[in-house]
Amino acid sequence: MESRKERALEQKGEVGYSWLYRATAMNSGVRVLTTLLVIALAAGFFAWYSRFSTDTAPDSLVGLIYATIGTLLLLLAATMFSLRRRSHRRREVGGLRASLGWHMCFALMGLAFLGMHSFGEFNPRTGTYALYGMVALVISGLVGRMLDRLMPRLIAAEAHQALTALGDDRIETISQQLQAMVAHNTQNVRGFAAPSSAARPANSSLATLPQANMQGGRDQAARDQALRMPWDLAYISLESTPQELSRDSGSFRLVPDRKSDLLRPGALMPGTQEHMGELEEVRRAMQRELLYRYVTRYWRKFHILLALVTVGLLVWHIEFALQLILPTLFH
Amino acid sequence: MFKNNAGQQDVRLHKTGPQVSQELHACIGCNECLLACPALGEPITIDMLNRETLGGPISRPVAQFARSCYQCGACVAPCPVGLHRDAMMMWLKVRLLRSGWGE
Repeated sequence: MESRKERALEQKGEVGYSWLYRATAMNSGVRVLTTLLVIALAAGFFAWYSRFSTDTAPDSLVGLIYATIGTLLLLLAATMFSLRRRSHRRREVGGLRASLGWHMCFALMGLAFLGMHSFGEFNPRTGTYALYGMVALVISGLVGRMLDRLMPRLIAAEAHQALTALGDDRIETISQQLQAMVAHNTQNVRGFAAPSSAARPANSSLATLPQANMQGGRDQAARDQALRMPWDLAYISLESTPQELSRDSGSFRLVPDRKSDLLRPGALMPGTQEHMGELEEVRRAMQRELLYRYVTRYWRKFHILLALVTVGLLVWHIEFALQLILPTLFH
Repeated sequence: MFKNNAGQQDVRLHKTGPQVSQELHACIGCNECLLACPALGEPITIDMLNRETLGGPISRPVAQFARSCYQCGACVAPCPVGLHRDAMMMWLKVRLLRSGWGE
């Protein structure tokens, strides 16, 4: 019973592209646990040290150890993923995902260590600016990960709107339908066009009437019959002629005159407005898709820019700190 | 495809089903796109991915990969044939989306 159910599921395959999907990555638990453990140990030591020591300054020995570890972790976060991504050696499927996971873990650990290095001193100095840069960088990374989850789903929804059930371009399909409609209606309009010049043969207006606008072969036969009838002025009947009869028929009511419904825009093209509406809808969907793609792309660039700015602030802070520390060490 | 003022490729929109099918048939199966992917965490092969992108039921690992893919485009540059795996993945996402809400 169970195996039959499983087989049916296999045949049906996976369905859905939910927002609440949770990706299960290889060794993700190890990474999360390691990060939590390292932060917890560092925070525990920080709490103990803050309670029992009087030297709680960023430039104390413990403060400097925190700073060094934090900086190393940040450097690891910054370089490991980028280098691995560009490297062509010893690659394996899924390896880059693990690197991206470690990139995030190292960044969080680095931020925690640097936060502890500050010992709660947030004076407007180089270190504070570097820490703020780090905070902004980590937040931008977290927002980026959220965007990475959100944007592909929005893009897929827009692409779904822009494609037909068979996967063809919906704009092209609608355009083809519109073109067919225009071609059909143009034939109709031509059928109703008044004779433009005297050069036309006497019976040209009848000759150019399209078959579609005749009331079948009966009207045509009546017209032929009328033309073949001998013309005798002496015999004028008060009865309606076949021409007069057919003028009241549906096809002749379509002749565009002042009172005709054909003067209304779109009267000859039923369904055009709906198609144009659909076309507009698809166009908007594609614009939205483009916007989502730009958001994803520029957020990554923004994150990289922020990383460069933070590295600059960090270098500035290290230079400032060395100016203070080195003379103390050598004297 | 939209181009910027310098005529360089800017942002590429989704591809249609026939275009995706054409690209899938042109794939030489070198695996470079999967090696360059930072979203792939499932043990899948390129022929499995190609087959299920084209049609038929979607297996769990391929569906998970499609859900994890965030369209970064890292798979495009290493392709020796110049194919767009990101567009193929988008097609797979649309197929999953059309199949229902699911998980």
